[in-house]
Amino acid sequence: MGYTGEIEALLQILAAGLLLGCLYGLMCAGLGLIFGIMRVINFAQGDFMMLAMYFGLTGVALFAPGRSWAFATAMAVACAAALVFYGLGALTHWALVSRVSGARAVDTADAGHTGQLILTLGLSLVLQNGGLMLFGSSPVSIPSDAGTQSWTLELLGGDIMLFINQARAFSALMAVAAVLLAILLMTRTGIGRQLRAVASNPIAALYMGVNVDRAFRTAFGIGLALTAIAGVCVATFYPFQAYSGFDFVIIMYAGVVLGGMGSVGGAFLGGLIIGLVQQLSTLVLPAQLQNTAVFVVFLAVLLIRPQGLFGRSVERA
Amino acid sequence: MTTITRRGLLGTALAMPAIVHGTARAQSAPIRLALLAPLSGPFARQGELMRTGATLAVEDVNRNGGIKALGGATLELVIADAGANVEQVTSAAQRLAADRELLAGMGAWASSFTLAATEVTERAKLPWITLSWADTITARGFHYVLASSPPSSRIIPAALEPLLALAGKVAGKKPSTIACINDDTAVNQANMKPLREGGFEKLGLKTVMDENFSVPLSDATPLIQRLRRARPDLVLLGTTATSDSRLLLQTLTEFGLGQGKVPVIAPSANFGTPEMLKNMGANYLEGVIGVAGNWTSKRQAALNADLMKRSGEPWLIQDTLSLYGHVALIADALERAGKADRDALMAALLATDTTEGPARFFLGERLRFEKNGRRADAVPAVFQWKNGKPLTVLPEADAEAELSWPRPG
Amino acid sequence: MQFLSPPGRQLAALAVLLLCGVAVTFTIHGYELLLVCFVGIWAMLGLSWNILGGYAGLVSFGHAAFFGGGAYTVAILSHDLGITPWIGIPLGAVVGAALGLLIGAVTFRLKGHYFSLAMLAYPLALIPLFTWAGWSEVALPLEREHPLRYMQFSDPRIMPLIVLAALGAALWICLRIERTRLGLQLFAIRQNELAAQCAGIATLRVKLISIAISGGMAGLAGGLYATTVLVVTPLSVFGMLASAQALIVSMFGGLGAAWGPLIGAIILVPAAELLNATFGGRLPGMQGVIFGLAIMAVILFRPQGIYWAVRDHLAPRGRVPADHGAPSEEAAVPHPEYREAPGEPLLVVRGIDVRFGGLHALSDVSLEVRRGEILGIIGPNGAGKTTLFKAISGVVPLAAGSIRLEGQPIERLSPARRPHLGLAHVPEGRQVFGDLTVEENLQLGTTALRDGRDAGRSLERCYALFPVLAERRQQLAGSLSGGQQQMLAIGRGIASRPRLLMLDEPSMGLAPTIVDTIFESVQRLNREEGLTVLIVEQRAIEAIEICDRGYVLSTGEVVMRGTRAELLADKTLREAYLGA
Repeated sequence: MGYTGEIEALLQILAAGLLLGCLYGLMCAGLGLIFGIMRVINFAQGDFMMLAMYFGLTGVALFAPGRSWAFATAMAVACAAALVFYGLGALTHWALVSRVSGARAVDTADAGHTGQLILTLGLSLVLQNGGLMLFGSSPVSIPSDAGTQSWTLELLGGDIMLFINQARAFSALMAVAAVLLAILLMTRTGIGRQLRAVASNPIAALYMGVNVDRAFRTAFGIGLALTAIAGVCVATFYPFQAYSGFDFVIIMYAGVVLGGMGSVGGAFLGGLIIGLVQQLSTLVLPAQLQNTAVFVVFLAVLLIRPQGLFGRSVERA
Repeated sequence: MTTITRRGLLGTALAMPAIVHGTARAQSAPIRLALLAPLSGPFARQGELMRTGATLAVEDVNRNGGIKALGGATLELVIADAGANVEQVTSAAQRLAADRELLAGMGAWASSFTLAATEVTERAKLPWITLSWADTITARGFHYVLASSPPSSRIIPAALEPLLALAGKVAGKKPSTIACINDDTAVNQANMKPLREGGFEKLGLKTVMDENFSVPLSDATPLIQRLRRARPDLVLLGTTATSDSRLLLQTLTEFGLGQGKVPVIAPSANFGTPEMLKNMGANYLEGVIGVAGNWTSKRQAALNADLMKRSGEPWLIQDTLSLYGHVALIADALERAGKADRDALMAALLATDTTEGPARFFLGERLRFEKNGRRADAVPAVFQWKNGKPLTVLPEADAEAELSWPRPG
Repeated sequence: MQFLSPPGRQLAALAVLLLCGVAVTFTIHGYELLLVCFVGIWAMLGLSWNILGGYAGLVSFGHAAFFGGGAYTVAILSHDLGITPWIGIPLGAVVGAALGLLIGAVTFRLKGHYFSLAMLAYPLALIPLFTWAGWSEVALPLEREHPLRYMQFSDPRIMPLIVLAALGAALWICLRIERTRLGLQLFAIRQNELAAQCAGIATLRVKLISIAISGGMAGLAGGLYATTVLVVTPLSVFGMLASAQALIVSMFGGLGAAWGPLIGAIILVPAAELLNATFGGRLPGMQGVIFGLAIMAVILFRPQGIYWAVRDHLAPRGRVPADHGAPSEEAAVPHPEYREAPGEPLLVVRGIDVRFGGLHALSDVSLEVRRGEILGIIGPNGAGKTTLFKAISGVVPLAAGSIRLEGQPIERLSPARRPHLGLAHVPEGRQVFGDLTVEENLQLGTTALRDGRDAGRSLERCYALFPVLAERRQQLAGSLSGGQQQMLAIGRGIASRPRLLMLDEPSMGLAPTIVDTIFESVQRLNREEGLTVLIVEQRAIEAIEICDRGYVLSTGEVVMRGTRAELLADKTLREAYLGA
């Protein structure tokens, strides 16, 4: 009898961690594709997600017939965002990232890493501040009924009550669907095979006649597309402004590295674990130390398994 | 390419002193006041609200003939961006302090920003007025700093006392348990300090939960889950970011505790912003009580309506109102000082004691300052959301609406 | 690198620079003096970052941990214990160094990006921890009684001078590192850590020493920062921005040279401040947009950073030796009894040059591969054999010369295009896709196949040639034995039905019996399918025995060529290269 409270808390927080973790997972899957395949550290990934959030807001404002339809519209807009951001990603890669990395730099000492690091840092500054000028400083979100409503689950004859936010639940489903699609793409298609080959060994892939630059461009596009879906989902329940992308980008990297580079599924699980650790840590630690717990777990896992939880091979030199 | 780049850099290097001196060389007739506020970075919205208030006040003073004691000299606002961190604040403050023609300054929103800025302005003997709450601002023995809001150590107890009394009247029983959720920013922690150290006991409240979280909150579920089990009579939510406020309030609603079932008191001006309404919707905000350093007053209804129209904001909040008041206060002090001199202005500012003029832009009757620069008998503003608007309910002399308290059950 | 440059010149440059700094300090006023402090502080953080990131190639995203450690040491000592920054700043450096040792000892287990991103976690984990501990804003108290004792000088010039002195010391340390053993060892680690280890460098010890120096320097910068800004918050000293600032000034200025971070800070810090002053009040956000665009533009055009760009610009000829005579066939010494082998030429390489910096990796190399033959290229380690293959594949750029495949020039084609024309390169060390299955590896081999429908047949052919691969088609390639990986690499190479198969050291690291199997299968491919093979080998005798003809490459030049019989009979060759 005395334990129902604890069980309720555990289940409730577990549910929250899972729902949030799925979204983190989707963001991580996007970043993981870029990072795992190109070894490009894209500091602007979060800021692209911020752009996707505004894209979602604009789409819903234009097309949603009313507040009750807002969430469904947002999900449709998320799919559109995937296409648009695929294009944006490919364009960004072609215009900027490929100039300092990729086939051009594949055989140089640092494979162009220095250049792209600072390039994406600069891009991040431009997007954040450009976003401020373009969209204004007020925090906004996609107003929807689902965002403020929850389902109530009663267990043990009402002794345990769980509340599940509808927007978060649907978003989590969307995230899982998107990641499954991405995994299928990576494992079942020729493009996926090429992408994985490029990730595994870009020079050898070049010897096979794989167009490494095009593969990188595809990876950058898909990576942004996945993160854009996550962005629109998050925008349905999280107020954001031009600097909000930064709130997520570090979580994304932690998830990707935790999961092990180079696999979409691994990155997703990495993000899921981050979500769970972040929420479950509150059962034993002050809520203030949520992120400290995340980073401690992150470091501990890395030090025990340097290749990440689901990574197979150790980072090439 | 290299030559172009090099020439570009050279050009930049040459342009720099020109611009720095360019600001200083502008006409000497107007009286220059500085506003330091975060205009870029994550706090840009707050900075924008402050700028609106200061700009409108300067317009009004100038329209009404400027500073009469100085031959109708007009005011001119020099705006600097405090950016996102203390370093940017320090360089901006240094830049302002180097401008010898500046007579006074205002800002810089977050208390850590204000602390850093005043470390610079104090050394430059530049009079500075701030709305920041932190006690430390006026506890350093500085001579050139005024703080117009009640200090952190007094603001919540002063708001809770009448609230609890009213709740007792309405519900027949005074609330006896409280749950606190605060973010870990300096201001909210400073607010909590005196309450944790016996303040709640003095108010007859038992703390059943006291949790802090880091900004930004990723999910409010763990906190609200704990809150639900603690079953408090009253919740204190101290937040800084709109996203955190919305997450907490929304999760409260989802868990069936919202819309007044458990009264929410938020010692944060951001709970009363227009964007809060836009992000939450009116029915989720109904009844939520906020505490701030300043809010609208029924005594100023006409002025407020005018300011609202000119600013384009649906209503005015602490940051806009206080900055309007700061400019008005400086203008008033200049009239009394009779000369454009930093020391004379500071003396006049400290000697302010009035229930008229600038006093009308702050809540409470009388505007005067203690020796350390803190406003004496400053009262907190208490507002409550009613039909999609945050209306002042305390102090009574300024109240725009009657405070309501949810009946238990 | 600049290890060999005269130290006197650099010391003179350092002295001149510091004197300029001092002179500047005496000509400017309050606000600009603060800028001098910030330039100095961020340059020091950049220098500290450069010791790890530049010299040793260990890119850290977490230098804010050391910086913040130093800043908080000063702030807490001063605020809580009343201890002056005169003591606090050196202690901050000690704390930074200690943090460096601690973090290094734990994190140096990780390599590459894993190291970089793990470093990110330390400062970010400290932010909530410091707030939780109640240090969310610590102000250094104003000391009216003893300003000097607490570094609160009434003369605003003193603080910048102290910062300049500290910067001078940091720069001197870095220049010294560049010229001493430590610098060479770090450079070796950056090039190839494993090789450095094999060369007898205690890499962990060297890395720990350098992270301690780096952490100490960052701690010193942090301590000065706290003393300058007077208010310390976790976000401002442990935040991502502080770490990023170190990265930006170093990379913008130029990685791996002490002058780089200095140049970066001297340009970027005032530029950012100027932009803030210009746009911050009027058009907020514009300053960030312009600053970001400027960084991007510079990096797009000069990815190696300002310092190296200027150096290359000033001394373009100093680094590359003067050009030599026109390439010609006669440059190679033909064997006296050399006869043209039958068959028309498939691949013709004429007079190619490959340079790495000032080093000639290949000079004036010409060769012909004739249809249907097995051509061997032998030579000692470092002769340029692998570089020759990479040049044919297009992975390293040519400085001169031409390459024709079936009469068509290919030297301007992208490397990814060349396999589609019939080149298959089986690289040194096999380079199979370890995370992919055997079958997927082979499927990738068919990328360059003209007709995608032939892929299935191509795979069957590989399996027929190497039955062991058929047994393991679903196994991950990384889990195969060395010999099986080599078979897979060859199978992957022939899956595209190439005209020319280029094998780079197929025998490397394999047992003799496996080498025999592999050589046999190569001969079979040649005999039964008429596949032309170009093979690079260090095991010269075995290689020559399966070849029709051979070239001998030494220090980037063709020194001999001939038929199998001629080469096997040549006495000098046997003595010089075959070690028999």
